[in-house]
Amino acid sequence: MKYGVILFNTTTSVMQAEKILLKADFVIKLIPTPREFSVDCGISIRFEWDQNVQIKALLEKEKVNYEAILLLVVNGI
Amino acid sequence: METIDARDLACPEPVIRTKKALENSKDGILTVIVNSTEANENVQRFAKNQGCSVKAAEKNGVFTLEIHKTGQAPEMCQTKAVVMLIASDQLGVGDEALGQLLIAAFINTLPEAKTRPAKMLFINRGVMLTTEGSRVLDSLQKLESNGVQIFSCGTCLNHYQLKEKLKVGKVTNMYDTVDSLLNADNVIRI
Repeated sequence: MKYGVILFNTTTSVMQAEKILLKADFVIKLIPTPREFSVDCGISIRFEWDQNVQIKALLEKEKVNYEAILLLVVNGI
Repeated sequence: METIDARDLACPEPVIRTKKALENSKDGILTVIVNSTEANENVQRFAKNQGCSVKAAEKNGVFTLEIHKTGQAPEMCQTKAVVMLIASDQLGVGDEALGQLLIAAFINTLPEAKTRPAKMLFINRGVMLTTEGSRVLDSLQKLESNGVQIFSCGTCLNHYQLKEKLKVGKVTNMYDTVDSLLNADNVIRI
């Protein structure tokens, strides 16, 4: 399963992005930042990778501060 | 095969003796004798929750319970019963929005963890997580389909007028909640 993970610098940005993405009916999930991406305890937003382009466009349009969008391949979830 | 005579013992002694005997059992077969319906139900429920099968026979008010650790779920027989008491829709005390964010990330991580709680009890504002509008419903549904028992407090659902909006698990009462907490090996309070 291919997921995108949006990493943020602040939890305020996570909340802002979550609100905007849910309002636009994207299927997203709050997860702890995967261990392979960060050692500290951040919160990230996970989505199915095929929504990548639209999500990126919306975040940029709404000027949400995010650090990166990364691809995460997960087996069996 | 070991036999435990738990007749005339007050609750929760029959369950405690059954638990100890199961842990020490070499062949995984145990007979427990009790003489009250309460002890009969408690021991049976305990054994079944541990993933064991139970054959029960009653004669003149004396119950003979034959308990087998089943082949299909041997690991469950040894797993400690962890009960998670979720008494809030937030993780920790502080900024409300942060607390809600943290509990979502927490519950979304549980289906991927190596071990699972036996039960999750949602109390007070915790029921916001099991009802319509919760952002962790799919994770809770996944946990439930993996055998985690999910219960929401009926009084709390009524109080917040959410009884019709329950989306995952069952409704429970304070008796079962107290029972679950007292019979747990480990309680995690959120």
